Amino acid sequence: MLAYIVRRLLYAIPILIGVNLITFALFFVVNSPDDMARMQLGVKRVTPEAIDKWKMERGYDKPLLWNAKAAGIDQATETIFFRKSARMFAFDFGRADDGRDIAREIRGRMAPSLAVALPVFALGLFAAVSFALLLVYFRASYLDFAGVVLCVAMMSVSGLFYIIGGQWLVSKIWHLVPISGYAGGLDTAKFIVLPVIISVVGGIGSSTRWYRTLFLEEISKDYVRTARAKGLSERAVLFGHVLRNALIPILTGVVVLIPLLFMGSLLIESFFGIPGLGSYTIDAINAQDFAVVRAMVFIGSLLYIVGLLLTDISYTLVDPRVRLQ
Amino acid sequence: MSSLLTVRDLSVAIGAANPVDGVSFDIAAGETFSLLGESGCGKSMTALALMRLLPAAARTAGGEVAFGGRSLMALPESEMRTLRGGGMAMIFQEPGTSLNPVMTVGKQIGEAIALHGGKVSAVDLLDAVGIPDAARRASEYPFQLSGGMKQRAMIAMALAGAPELLIADEPTTALDVTIQAQVLDLLRELQRSRGMAMLLISHDLGVVSRMADHVGVMYAGQLVEVAPRDRFFAEAAHPYSRALFAALPDAARRGGELASIPGSVPPLDTRFTGCRFADRCAEVVPACREAPPPWRELGEGHRARCIRIGEEKSALATRQEKPEKPGTDHVSSAFAPLLSVTDLAVHFPIRRGVLQRVVGHVRAVDGVSLELAAGRTLALVGESGCGKTTAGKAILHLIPPTAGSVRLDGRPLAGLAARDMQMVFQDPFGSLNPRLRIGDIIAEGMRALAIAGNHAARIGELLGQVGLAAEMAGRWPHEFSGGQRQRIAVARALAVNPRLLVLDEPTSALDVSVQAQILNLLRELQGRLGLAYLFITHNIAVVDYLAHEVAVMYLGRIVERGTAADVLRAPRHPYTQALLSAVPRIEADGTERVVLAGDMPSPANPPSGCHFHPRCPHAAEACRLDYPREVAVSPTHRVRCVLVAAVATGGPD
Amino acid sequence: MKPVLLWSDALLFLLLALVFAGGWWSRRQAHLRDAWQKVGAGGTAMAAATVLAAFLVVGVLDSVHYRERLPDAGNEPGKGPVAYSNEVLSALDALLLPLKTRTEKTYSAPLATHLFAKESLDGEGRDFPRLKHGGAHLGAALDGHDGDVAARVVIGFGIGVALWLPLWLFARWRKFGGSGTAIRAVLGTALVLLLIAGPVASLAAGYHVLGTDKVGQDVLYLTLKSIRTGLLIGTLTTLIMLPAAVLLGILAGYVGGWVDDLIQYLYTVLNSIPGVLLIAAAVLMMQVIIDTHPDWFATAAARADARLLALCLILGVTSWTGLARLLRGETLKLREMDYVQAARAFGVGRLAIMLRHILPNLMHIVLIALVMDFSGLVLAEAVLSYVGIGVDPNTISFGAMINAARMELAREPMVWWSLAAAFAFMFALVLAANLFADAVRDAFDPRAVK
Repeated sequence: MLAYIVRRLLYAIPILIGVNLITFALFFVVNSPDDMARMQLGVKRVTPEAIDKWKMERGYDKPLLWNAKAAGIDQATETIFFRKSARMFAFDFGRADDGRDIAREIRGRMAPSLAVALPVFALGLFAAVSFALLLVYFRASYLDFAGVVLCVAMMSVSGLFYIIGGQWLVSKIWHLVPISGYAGGLDTAKFIVLPVIISVVGGIGSSTRWYRTLFLEEISKDYVRTARAKGLSERAVLFGHVLRNALIPILTGVVVLIPLLFMGSLLIESFFGIPGLGSYTIDAINAQDFAVVRAMVFIGSLLYIVGLLLTDISYTLVDPRVRLQ
Repeated sequence: MSSLLTVRDLSVAIGAANPVDGVSFDIAAGETFSLLGESGCGKSMTALALMRLLPAAARTAGGEVAFGGRSLMALPESEMRTLRGGGMAMIFQEPGTSLNPVMTVGKQIGEAIALHGGKVSAVDLLDAVGIPDAARRASEYPFQLSGGMKQRAMIAMALAGAPELLIADEPTTALDVTIQAQVLDLLRELQRSRGMAMLLISHDLGVVSRMADHVGVMYAGQLVEVAPRDRFFAEAAHPYSRALFAALPDAARRGGELASIPGSVPPLDTRFTGCRFADRCAEVVPACREAPPPWRELGEGHRARCIRIGEEKSALATRQEKPEKPGTDHVSSAFAPLLSVTDLAVHFPIRRGVLQRVVGHVRAVDGVSLELAAGRTLALVGESGCGKTTAGKAILHLIPPTAGSVRLDGRPLAGLAARDMQMVFQDPFGSLNPRLRIGDIIAEGMRALAIAGNHAARIGELLGQVGLAAEMAGRWPHEFSGGQRQRIAVARALAVNPRLLVLDEPTSALDVSVQAQILNLLRELQGRLGLAYLFITHNIAVVDYLAHEVAVMYLGRIVERGTAADVLRAPRHPYTQALLSAVPRIEADGTERVVLAGDMPSPANPPSGCHFHPRCPHAAEACRLDYPREVAVSPTHRVRCVLVAAVATGGPD
Repeated sequence: MKPVLLWSDALLFLLLALVFAGGWWSRRQAHLRDAWQKVGAGGTAMAAATVLAAFLVVGVLDSVHYRERLPDAGNEPGKGPVAYSNEVLSALDALLLPLKTRTEKTYSAPLATHLFAKESLDGEGRDFPRLKHGGAHLGAALDGHDGDVAARVVIGFGIGVALWLPLWLFARWRKFGGSGTAIRAVLGTALVLLLIAGPVASLAAGYHVLGTDKVGQDVLYLTLKSIRTGLLIGTLTTLIMLPAAVLLGILAGYVGGWVDDLIQYLYTVLNSIPGVLLIAAAVLMMQVIIDTHPDWFATAAARADARLLALCLILGVTSWTGLARLLRGETLKLREMDYVQAARAFGVGRLAIMLRHILPNLMHIVLIALVMDFSGLVLAEAVLSYVGIGVDPNTISFGAMINAARMELAREPMVWWSLAAAFAFMFALVLAANLFADAVRDAFDPRAVK
């Protein structure tokens, strides 16, 4: 098993390099730094001097991959690729357009993102699994049917409407919680309760339906019949046998998401003014701050790869067939 | 004798269809009642209805079931639960999927013990069903157990509630024949010591003969005959029962035609007016189709549902037992062999570690040599996992051989010899592409090999050859039954005029009546086209009926080969002897049975010396050292066993 | 008038042609015919299909583009170069010309006769100004407003029923539904749709049925125009990614070895970049390209269209991995099937096996992916456009509508109608798509759990 994990870890390296190359190509090869400068400064009436200045400020004035003018090792390091892409492996992301250090900004914004994303993840998983179990327990009844219809209807509503509707109803009509904003410490609860509820409600339709399908698939298997033939009650069968087996695909499906919780949620954070990484990303996109977007791409990929690794490990934990072979 | 279980007019409905329709029988305490029938006749549904475990789509549509005097149909679910696993327990066909994969075996058994207030422990029960090292096994997961052990664990679980009735639904069908013998012996032994009654569901006349006290034959949802075992096997009355007997292949019917039952079991939603078997019955008269036949008492608890019982001796009975054609079996292989395989090996690498280095090999096929002449059938016999299918595919070069040579007409093959050798596969449902019409399926080989000629006409001719109508070329695979699909698969292989067919268990997925049709077809085609067959199978009866020569495989190697008479009548290798004696037969021949202990070892890590020695009843010290050389006991008969070498007069070849 | 074929139009028509060809072909394939009949027998599925068809009609009408010929300025008619308007119009625009042109100054509520906000009027203090078009036919006497609305609704119902009757008679005459098709669900849904469309149409002739937005555009017009964007994103994305996903999935599964390793590496890399960020990065880059090459596009519509297609392409790149992985897994199972082995025993080549034996047995997965992805993509468009990395700001879409409307939620009283309209139309579209997709999956997937 250790060899297996080591192998997966080694496999992560070429993937990160691949991600790095793709982002490099996307940001510097598809468009030259000149193009970017021209766009940022306004397409018309831009002097070459202004472009050069813009590039200088951001360090985009170097050659892409190979600096023929430099000497020695600098031929490779005094390049955009090394400065902007390769350095990301050392978590050196440079500065944003507003001059702030990106790495520092990211560290500071992780906590607010997690404050929302973590409860959403835990509550959402718990609620969806519970509802799915309920529907499966009453399968082929009217309750089940109504539940599935409700799930499909809830899936068909855009997430934007959940947020807008929730803010309008809870904050504006009922005046229960502030409409947006964020504070540290104990006040946090007041600000995150609405975003958390809205996210959970918004996601529950599709996940309930998906888990219900998994449970039903599991319940039609032979070992369930054996469990019933033993004389176990339907509840014991469901909780003692079906749940445990169905949790394998469920858990391994969601484990990959856990590291990505750090990234926060774009929509929720921007609507509720939570100063997390999600709103950071959106602001960067809107301001066309390429350095920040690049950094977020790198971090996102890294977290995803960590998620894949955790998935592999979680398999070995929950499934004895993987653990012992 | 008062009965423990009484079933009266039990019916099960799935929508408008009735897979079980008015079934009545009794089981006395301590006795075994066997429900016999082909697939889809409603046996399993009957058992599930007794346990009230029918699938969601099905429901009990009527009838009465009394167990120990209590009516089961009226029982509240909570009381039914105490009865399930307590009063009556059930084991299923597929031990591989019937255990919870993520729970230890001990815990699963413990669950049943806790439910029914037993005093025993899971380890005791595992011990009682003959699992060695029970304490360790109890803490293992199902995937760590072999198929036979899983079925033993299932039995242990069923015993947890000390049931008075054990329902066993095809308990050994998924197991190899030597393991089947172990499990059947175990069931018998447990039944005797605990005084359990047993409802044994099986399609295998041999198993039924070995186990049953009473037999009930089911057809299309109804019982058609009920009789005590001895009477049933001596004088079965219903034409269907007799047809089942007649369709069984064995040595006595060699060279002759098997009495197959035309057609196949009718689909569930068929509406019947008269006798359900009428359309396939050889003795049908118009009156059969008018009304459902009433039960007819034949004395001593023997009754059957046929209006023609007692009339003149039927055609079926007189048609049996054609004399063996002289000469067919005694053609010596003086001809140059069509196919000759030398030291064929297929090794699959096992990769481990960070860098996925090859740390060993699964020796699926490990030095197989055989010869096959035109017009002859060589049966490659062995249990699952012995490498026989891999050997077949490697001969065709569908799997690249690791070593050894395959010669056709003396010329070595380097790749496919598609024009000369073709294959027919086991699963009739997996062997035809569901997205192609029958005509396209058959034409595939002709197109691929650019065979000239009128393909459409040839397809019609081929369909005719395998007993189907030429118009069927335009139809889709799903419109055909398993037997018909297997005919189509044969036609596809024949389309390129091969000289040799590799038949990989071509009848093992089929019912016995349909199996007979396919065997007849194969025999007839061989006579007409002079085909050579490499017949891969585990079914000894089929081998006995069809094969000229037999090679027995164990763990990647051929341990014994010779003519059918050599190997099947005078087996010399202990494994062959055990294999033959494990086959349940209808006629109890009184000979001592050899029951092998344990399971087949893994081909990734075969035992030293003779691969068979850990299970061999005659193993000696020498067996552990080297793999035995091949010894000729007669010009046609070769064995690889140290014991045989000691007594053989002829030297090695 | 000069017809204009935008790239997205061409692809949409190609898709429609493929659907029709596929439908015609599948009539002769027993398994496909059976599966479609199963879909057709479901009431919910057919009702959903009817709603989708209505949306599709709007979308297709909006995809027939042309440029108006400008009146010859100064020259004699027939002489001089013919000039065309820079504005690309569609058949839908032509139908909805009154809606398109009758813009107000700013917000007005549904069916209103006055603007939503007070303005200072000439010498008469501050009041709600009268609308230029909404209810203009009423003149100064506004007492007739309610009566007029009621009358128009009744007339609208009449129109709806009148349009529905021929449909009903046609269905009876041709005896549709004889083969188990749930024709009653189709007719019922059609009736409901026409009973909504009739009054809306008759009201729209005199009012802004769904109000107007910030710059006074009719919201009903905007909503109808948004449909095409949603449909295109939902279908073209899958269409664009399909060839790659199918090809790579099958290759990885069937060929195996280093090809498999490479393809798996490729999709793990693409998968590991968070989707939104990849889309954001790609869209930003695409915008730079489009902005720095204004000469590539003849009209603003062509530029917006390029961005729409780019978005489809990028969405496709981020979503093909799931399907490819699914197809790879299924191919791994299929290659061990006996019929594939049988084909190999005949020496049939790899390519032929993949085309004859693997691909046809994967088509149901492709079809299911196509219909299942649709609704998710429509929803994704709204979110992406909201974030600012969706369609071109000039393209009318649900996301753009929501984005524009949400700023006004804080207003007192609230401007709710843009949101409500976008919500209702999106919900109808996505719900219908979800229900239809479920029916298709149940009919085509052999393993579907009911």
